[in-house]
This record gives sequence, structure tokens and C-alpha cells, in this order.
Amino acid sequence: MTRKDLLDIESLSRREIEHLLDQAGPFKELFTRSVKKVPALKGKSVLTLFYEPSTRTLSSFEVAAKRLSADVTNFDVPHSSVVKGESVRDTIATLQAMRTDYIIVRNKMAGLPLVIARETKACVINAGDGAHAHPTQALLDGFTFREVFPKPEGKKILIVGDILHSRVARSTSTLMRKLGVEVAWLGPGSLVPKYGPEDIRRFTNFDEAMQWAPDSIYLLRVQMERQDAPYFPSLREYTKLYGVTRERFKRIADQGIYIMHPGPVNRGVELCDDVMNYSRCLIDQQVENGIAARMAVLYWLKPDENSPS
Amino acid sequence: MPSLLIKNANIASEENDNLITADVLVENGIITKIAQGIAVPDDARVVEASGKVLAPSMFDTHIHMREPGQEAKETIKSGTEAAINGGVTGVVLMPNTSPAIDSAAMVRMVYDIAKRDSRIPVYTSGCITKGREGKELAGIDGMLGLGVKMLTDDGDAVPDMSLLKRAMEYASEFDCFFASHCEVLELSGPRALNEGVVSHRLGIQGTPACSEEICMDRDIRLAHATGARLHIQHVSSKMGMETIRWWKQMGAKVTAEVSPHHLLFNEEDIGNYDTHYKMNPPLRTAEDNAALLEGLKEGVFDIIATDHAPHTPFEKEQDFVSAPNGITGLETALVSLFHHYLKKGEFGWGLLINRYSAEPRRMMGLEPVPIVEGGPAEFILFDPEGETTFSAEYMQSMSQNTPFLDQTLDGSIDLVVLGDDVLLDR
Repeated sequence: MTRKDLLDIESLSRREIEHLLDQAGPFKELFTRSVKKVPALKGKSVLTLFYEPSTRTLSSFEVAAKRLSADVTNFDVPHSSVVKGESVRDTIATLQAMRTDYIIVRNKMAGLPLVIARETKACVINAGDGAHAHPTQALLDGFTFREVFPKPEGKKILIVGDILHSRVARSTSTLMRKLGVEVAWLGPGSLVPKYGPEDIRRFTNFDEAMQWAPDSIYLLRVQMERQDAPYFPSLREYTKLYGVTRERFKRIADQGIYIMHPGPVNRGVELCDDVMNYSRCLIDQQVENGIAARMAVLYWLKPDENSPS
Repeated sequence: MPSLLIKNANIASEENDNLITADVLVENGIITKIAQGIAVPDDARVVEASGKVLAPSMFDTHIHMREPGQEAKETIKSGTEAAINGGVTGVVLMPNTSPAIDSAAMVRMVYDIAKRDSRIPVYTSGCITKGREGKELAGIDGMLGLGVKMLTDDGDAVPDMSLLKRAMEYASEFDCFFASHCEVLELSGPRALNEGVVSHRLGIQGTPACSEEICMDRDIRLAHATGARLHIQHVSSKMGMETIRWWKQMGAKVTAEVSPHHLLFNEEDIGNYDTHYKMNPPLRTAEDNAALLEGLKEGVFDIIATDHAPHTPFEKEQDFVSAPNGITGLETALVSLFHHYLKKGEFGWGLLINRYSAEPRRMMGLEPVPIVEGGPAEFILFDPEGETTFSAEYMQSMSQNTPFLDQTLDGSIDLVVLGDDVLLDR
């Protein structure tokens, strides 16, 4: 049960997902030791190719690869020939010549990692492609969810915010559903697509969504940079209708509902400061688990037999 | 050329689906005799056509041949050879070349290339606005003076309604009609695929059908108000079909086309970002497929046209949003329609010939080419028992961006005749 690439969650079976989540456990245990490194990928090369700015995901992958003893190179996209108009395929041909074993790619174009995966013998990991998929985020979310709910089947997760543009919402929803978790979306009507899986409940009203009694609320980051396109009138109005305000937080805390967020958070927009000090806020745990989940993915993928390595 | 005698052919016509078995004699490019058991003239070439269908050849009114400007994709030479390969002996080019066909000089240039390079008649449409920019009117009188009949900014709608209205009023002086690619750009997003389950799954902003339907209704209203003749190109949705149906009932002077790909495929075929199913307007849903077929049978759609749109493999192998819109169609249309519809009894040769041979010629002010004594020899011989594999070698187009690539379908085009010439003899 191995694969060359991890491009989305949709193509993974429940068994594969559970295998990856199981694998992430022992990797996480490593972090408590004084030596946090294993030689699993010693001599292997990992190349990160981020066409979109990222600090958190990029560092998480970098740490994960290094803890597996791989050599990591960050391909410096802003200063590369990409900005001189080189096509992605020609960039990949160049990288192929460098005989890298893993390529971790982030790009604003949905489906681009697939184009790369077809072109290269290296293992390709999608670190986010447009609004399509962010599979390692979904895996770390699944891992985190399972830490608090070891039997996730039948539990409920409410994902709140800009579902329409969110690759996190897509991948995490898909993964949760594959684990038997019930998924619902909440957000402004302009950002909660009516298309998509029919078993996902749609809410546009916070109180109604709360009556559905979720076990965890997953807040998406409000994309401040998207404010030129008016999907809702103002941040103030968004917070009033869909933010975890202090009043709403009280209710959430009373009911012991877990809070998740892919980061980075906008304090005072999608959540109030109090959430960050809440005992059932899993945000920091997600970050830590991200490294373990990514280690599990790197360890699991296997290049084609005639891999350049 | 020596005379040509086709023996025992099943002759098809647009009148009905009946096939009449007879011999057909062609002399000097004219069908001189249709009868049983015609004696073989001394110099005649004889073609045994038992079990095969002799049909008027096709005529495609929506073709991109990319010349001038994008000759890596297609040229008038390769494109017209592709047409012949698909049983098409007349084409109307779209004006979105580079530079655009928006003046008498450009029309003349295209006709000069066609005269040099093409074995079939080539007609071109002309732009409504200069450079297809939607700002100033193109040189309409000069283009029409050279025989242009169709005015269109195909690839885009004319965004400025008052400009389009004025163009329609101005052109009423001339014998011409308008053709509309319908789309409201503000609603279209990146123009990659239909808004629906697949756009959601693939994480790409979709183009809703209403983007096309609103513009369609807008353009028909403007034509209706000004008295212009209007043709709606490549209708892709059920409500689009219903819009045209309603306007025809209102007595509007509107015609419409449907393309084979909008009939045969839908958004689900895109699968995992297969750019061979990317075109504009996009493939929609199975429900739309059914409605378009209904519209074709009923006559809401007057013609079938392919929107033959060649692109290089490099361009199509990009990510889905970056890859250009369009697929080729000239070589696959007839065989795929036979395979999927005629063979299954959805409709017969009568309808096919009417929509893909006779009506397109009438729309362009040309005579249809029925197989009748005294008529011009402009026909194909089609083998319903044959099969066609659309391999790269089979294709004459410079581009192979078609979902049918390497597929084998029932039916084959064995012979294409135009006047004195046997253009294709397989």
C-alpha cells in the first residue's frame, strides 16, 4: 500500500488515511525525546517549490523532512527563472535533472501538482493548490481530531467561514467524511457553495448551526486579502454574524466544544482573544501534529522503481 | 477527370431518413444520372458502394484555423485537410486570428491563403468591432463587399450593448447577419468549466450557465428590436435552448447552433482535470445534454457546428485553468454523431444532413448540395459497417486536442468528392 504522490484526499481510501494517521503517532512521540531525528530518509533529497508565500506550511514540511534526516532544498521561486516566464514544465525538467526524490509544491493553480506529478519520477506532495486541495492539512486535522475523539465515527464537525475559496475546507471535509465524521458548513451564503457533497449540511445562521450540536468547530481564516471582492459587506458584519465572539464563545465553552483553526488566526475577526486561552482550543496541537503528519506522508510515499535516486 | 460511377449506393437526403439505393453517375463534376443499373461508361471509374451511404457533404460554420497568427496550432492548409478528412467540404472561419479579421484587407489576405492552400471553399466571418476589442465598429462595408456574410466577435461577446445595437442598425443596409458568442464576463470567472459539482470538487471558480443565457437573451432582444438577423453560437445549456425556443415562438429572426461536444459530453467527463474537455462555453450537465438533443431534434437548433479549436499539446498539457479553451472537431464530428446517435436510432440521416450540410449552407446564402440529377457532385460515401480510429496519424489537423484521440468509433468516411475532384479516397 504505497503511492508515488499525495495530490488530494479524494483519491485516498479510508484504509490509507487511517494508516497514515496511525503512522503519525510514533513520529509525534519522537518530539518528546532529546534527539528528535530518525534516519529514515537519510540520503534522500526533498525540494520545496512554493509559488505562493507560506511560512507555516513550508517550515512544517522542512522540519518534518529534516527530522527524517532528508536533505532539504528550498527552490527560491521569486528569484528563479519562473519570474522570467519559464513554464512550470520547463522548471520541472530542470528539477528532474537535479534528481530530487520528493517535490513539495504549492501553487495558486488548482490541479498543477498533478501536472508536475505526471512529468517527474519524484514523489510529489501537494502543499496546497488553489481552492482544490491541501491534503497534509487534512491529515493533521484528522490526526488532531482523533487525538480527542479516538473513535471519530458519528462525531460532528462544523467548518465555519469562506468555504468557497478554501482548499482546507475541501480536503478536511473529505477526510472527515471518509472517517465517518458528520460535516457541516457555516458561513455567508456567498461563501458557502450549494454544490458539492449532498451529505454536508449547509448553515448560514450561527444559532441554527449550534443547534446541530457539533463536537468541534473548525474556523477558517478570513482572507483579508480578498476584501476587494465583496463577498460580505464588512469584517465587522462578518464577525457579528459568523465570528466566535465572547458571547458565542461562552456557549461553546459551556458545551465543551473543541475549536480548530488552520492558522494563522485573525484575532477579533473569526475568533475573540479568549478562544486562544481555551483549554479545548486545539490550534497549537494542530501545528505540532502537522510535523508528525507530514513525516508520515514523506515516509509513506515511494518513488517509481526507476526513480532517479 | 474521367467520369465516376458509384454503384448500389444508399442515397441519403435531408428530406427524410429513407435511403434510396441506386447508381450515381458523375460527369464533369455534375451528377448526370441517378438510376438502377447504369451501364458503365468507357472511361468511368467505378466505385462499388453496396451497404454504404452516399450523402451530401458537410458544411461547418464555426471553425478556427488560427492563420494568421497562431500557425503552430493550425493553418488554413492543415485545417481544410482536416475538414476533408471529416467529410466537410466548406467552412466558415472565425475572425479571432492575430491580427483579427476586421477589415477588407484581412479578408482578402485570408482568401488569398485559402486560394493557394485549400482544396475546399473557405468562407470567413468578419469582426463586429475593430480587433474584437468591443470599442469601435470594424470596416463592415469593405468586408461585406468581399462576400462576408457573418459578423461576429466570436470568442467574446460585444460587451457594450449600445455599440452592438448600433452595429445591428448600421448593418441593416447590408445582406449579412450577426453571430453571437454569449457570455457575461462579470459572471464568468476564469472561463474554465461549468459552475457546479465538478467546479467545486476541482476547486476552480465555475462559469454559471446564466452567464451565457443572460447574454443570449440580451443579444436576441437587441436583434429583435433592430430587425437584424442573429445566429446564436454553441449553445450549451437547457435554459439556453429554452430561451431560443421561446424567442422562435415569438417570431424572432434567430437561428442557433449546437456543437457535438455539448451534446455528447458533460462536466463529469473532466474527471481529474482533463483539458481535452475544456472549452468555452463549458460542458454542463447530463440534464443539459438531454435538453440539447431534444432541441436538435425539434429544430430549436438549426445547425450543428463544431467550433473546431486547435491547440498545441504543450498548451493543453498545462494546468486546467492555464490551458486554453477549445477542442478540435472537424475530423470527429460526423463519425461521432453517427456512432452515438444514428447508429442508436436517436435520429437519422435526414436530420443530420439538414443540420450539418443543408442548413449551414443556407445560413451562408449558399445552395444546399442534394444528390440529384443535374446537381453538383459534392458528397461523401460513408460506410456504416466501417470503423475509424482517431489516431494521431489519422488526423490531418496539426493539433490533436480532442477527447476522441485514440478512440475507435463505428462508421468511416471512405470517399469525399467535390466537383471534378476526389478529395479523399480511403
